[in-house]
Amino acid sequence: MTYAKIIKQLKKLPGIIYGLVIIIAFFGVTADYFLTFMNMMNILKQASVLIVVSLGMTLAILLGKIDMSVGSTMSLVGVVTGICLHKGISIPLAICIGMAVGSIIGFINGYLIGYRKFDYWIVTFSNMGIAQSLALVITNGATIPGFDSSFRFLGDGQIYGVPVGILIAMAIALAIIYLSYNTKFGSNIYAVGGNEQVARYSGIDTSKVIFKTYILSSLLAGFAGILLVSKVNSANPIAGSGYEFDAIAATLIGGTPFDGGRGGVLGTIIGACIIATLRNGLNMLGLTPPIQFTLVGFIIILIIIFDVLNEKYKAKKGGAANEA
Amino acid sequence: MSDQIILQLKGISKQFPGVKALDNVSLDVRKGEVHVLLGENGAGKSTLMKILSGVYKKDSGKIFLDGKEVEINSVNDAENLGIGIIHQEFNLLPHRDIAQNIFLGKEPTKRGPLGVKVLDKATMYSKCNELLKTVGIDLDSRILVKDLGIAQKQMVEIAKALSLANLKILIMDEPTATLTKGEIDKLFSIIRKYKSMGISIIYISHRMEEIQVIGDRVTVLRDGKYIGTVPVKETPPSELIRMMVGREITNLYKRDYNEPGPEALKVCNLSSRGKFKDVNFSVRRGEIVGFYGLVGAGRTEVAKAIFGEDKYDAGEILINGKKVKHHMPSQAVQNKMGLLPEDRRDEGLITKMLLKQNVVQASLRKVFPKGILNNKVESQIATKYITKLNIATPDENVVVASLSGGNQQKVVLAKWLLTDSEVLIFDEPTRGIDVGAKAEIYELMNDLAKSGKAIMMISSDLPEVIGLSDRIYVMYQGKIVAEFSHENASQERIVNFAIGRGDTL
Repeated sequence: MTYAKIIKQLKKLPGIIYGLVIIIAFFGVTADYFLTFMNMMNILKQASVLIVVSLGMTLAILLGKIDMSVGSTMSLVGVVTGICLHKGISIPLAICIGMAVGSIIGFINGYLIGYRKFDYWIVTFSNMGIAQSLALVITNGATIPGFDSSFRFLGDGQIYGVPVGILIAMAIALAIIYLSYNTKFGSNIYAVGGNEQVARYSGIDTSKVIFKTYILSSLLAGFAGILLVSKVNSANPIAGSGYEFDAIAATLIGGTPFDGGRGGVLGTIIGACIIATLRNGLNMLGLTPPIQFTLVGFIIILIIIFDVLNEKYKAKKGGAANEA
Repeated sequence: MSDQIILQLKGISKQFPGVKALDNVSLDVRKGEVHVLLGENGAGKSTLMKILSGVYKKDSGKIFLDGKEVEINSVNDAENLGIGIIHQEFNLLPHRDIAQNIFLGKEPTKRGPLGVKVLDKATMYSKCNELLKTVGIDLDSRILVKDLGIAQKQMVEIAKALSLANLKILIMDEPTATLTKGEIDKLFSIIRKYKSMGISIIYISHRMEEIQVIGDRVTVLRDGKYIGTVPVKETPPSELIRMMVGREITNLYKRDYNEPGPEALKVCNLSSRGKFKDVNFSVRRGEIVGFYGLVGAGRTEVAKAIFGEDKYDAGEILINGKKVKHHMPSQAVQNKMGLLPEDRRDEGLITKMLLKQNVVQASLRKVFPKGILNNKVESQIATKYITKLNIATPDENVVVASLSGGNQQKVVLAKWLLTDSEVLIFDEPTRGIDVGAKAEIYELMNDLAKSGKAIMMISSDLPEVIGLSDRIYVMYQGKIVAEFSHENASQERIVNFAIGRGDTL
């Protein structure tokens, strides 16, 4: 059985929701303060950043490609926005400048992959390094601390006890869900990921679809970076590093396989919640982030095994039905 | 059909790196006719049609539609002019539903929230259901394409082409390659219906019988050049073949029937749930045993089970009288079996690798016992088979993907000859291979049988099955329902068994 076939089994949304429930139940029993309102809100705050960046990653993976540069784009946009704020530039303008810098990364990715037909691994991997390096250079490697409370409201504030960050993330998620299921652009992403030649033969400008998707991915990553800065109240030039791993994991757990053209952003949102919950719970149990990566890896494999077994069982039943 | 010319291609040329694919080719198509485009693989038919449908750009030449010169620079241009195409390979997205595939790239839209353009799904699905009805497919437009059978996929392709609002020209590139007799009849009745509506059809096919049935006029291309246009009714097939290959093929199926040797492969009560049941047959040395049946009758599944690629639930397989059980293909290869799969490009060859690398692929241990490869030895071996099998290639160092279908098949064959395979399974040995190369493959198969190999041949090409086989098994719904010797094989009886009607003549 090929990897693609195994990944194919990842698709079942309901199973993933059970997974989330099981994880919550597990930590609810094992970690003392896990099932408190405070902590739940904490998880949602954590998840909001991951959801936003994962949405872009999912679009890139739906395209049959990947965007390795999202993590360092988060860092870069975060520090650029931070520097602007410290220079006294207004919040909306600072955010716009940050996002503009982020969109340059997406522009390079999209142009080289979409129009120049470069390999997407090489391009986004290189940009991962370039964006990271830029973030370190412009900050001299130092963290930019402390921002106005009005800026911090984005990632850390609350409206009637609900974190603003999660409201923003949900609004963005709804927009992306709508985009991917109800617009031509969304449909074209699936078509390009399903089979680029078929898409081209059907009159779709595949280069443009790829170009736009990568810009969107970078914009989402950039905004996630700003949310993160606001949430932790400092702009660290390596804050986003590792987020590409979590974003890919959220996508895979959410049922969008690497071969493109199937799956969707809905699953990714649940996938991101699973990862945020897991990391929070493991922290409470005293397990450090390095160990957490191992566990996330294991969980991806576990889910795949579960789904393969499930599919085998179904195939058996289907086979018997055919015979009857 | 009228004599009014709707489409004219004049002096079309197209150069690809290394080859002149089209050299000053002209074609005129009348309103409401079925215009057959005939030529061997590589003759330029598909290239010409890809230019007409906007996939490729022509280097020179002119295209006139309804007497006016038109520029076709993209698929959208062609579609706007009413030119639709059904490509040779499936152009469907497996994980999207029928409607999403049919309306791909031209989905109906409406104004959504905030005035943005969004998909009008309600219109899309209702339009799709209507379309499916007119094409005569009884399917829900929300079914995912991956869940459809091959013939159903083909019908969806056709529906996709017919979905163009102002369809004038419909190009069909080998639409029947994967269809069964009944489905072909259905397709032909659709073609006739659209013909009567004044739509012109450009029909690419290798199958002479079909051309006779459905075609009005035939244009023949050879090596990228225009050879001529003739009316179907007044041109015998032998003349068409002569135009195509530049020579006459008098005897396509050449077979020396000899007294076969001992049983090389015997299959007893082989069953696999949901695929096939109680399959019994044998193949003797020196025999070609044909397997005929509809797509999905279980022939390929039986072959894959014997070869160790698929599992089976019950039954026995004997090679040279010895019971064997193959858990994986490598064991079958050790037992001197070879499989020439239906899907050459994905299962028979590693198309990105060189010809010589493919030839030694299954014999690495034998050729290089120390486990260290040697370029020179590979070349020597490959050169030997290039001569022996008459493979048309510049040398042994070409990437297999660049060879034509017939020559690719010969490379697969070379691979198995090098392993000294005694039992060879040919699954659709000549699918997508042009007439000239077909004759060569048949000759090779005849030679192999003469040299004492046991050959199991799965084929949906009835003349091929009858012309080549010592014995013929017919499968229907996973079971062998009839066996014929080559003397008493008749097309009608075989087809009757294959469609489940039994011996009702």
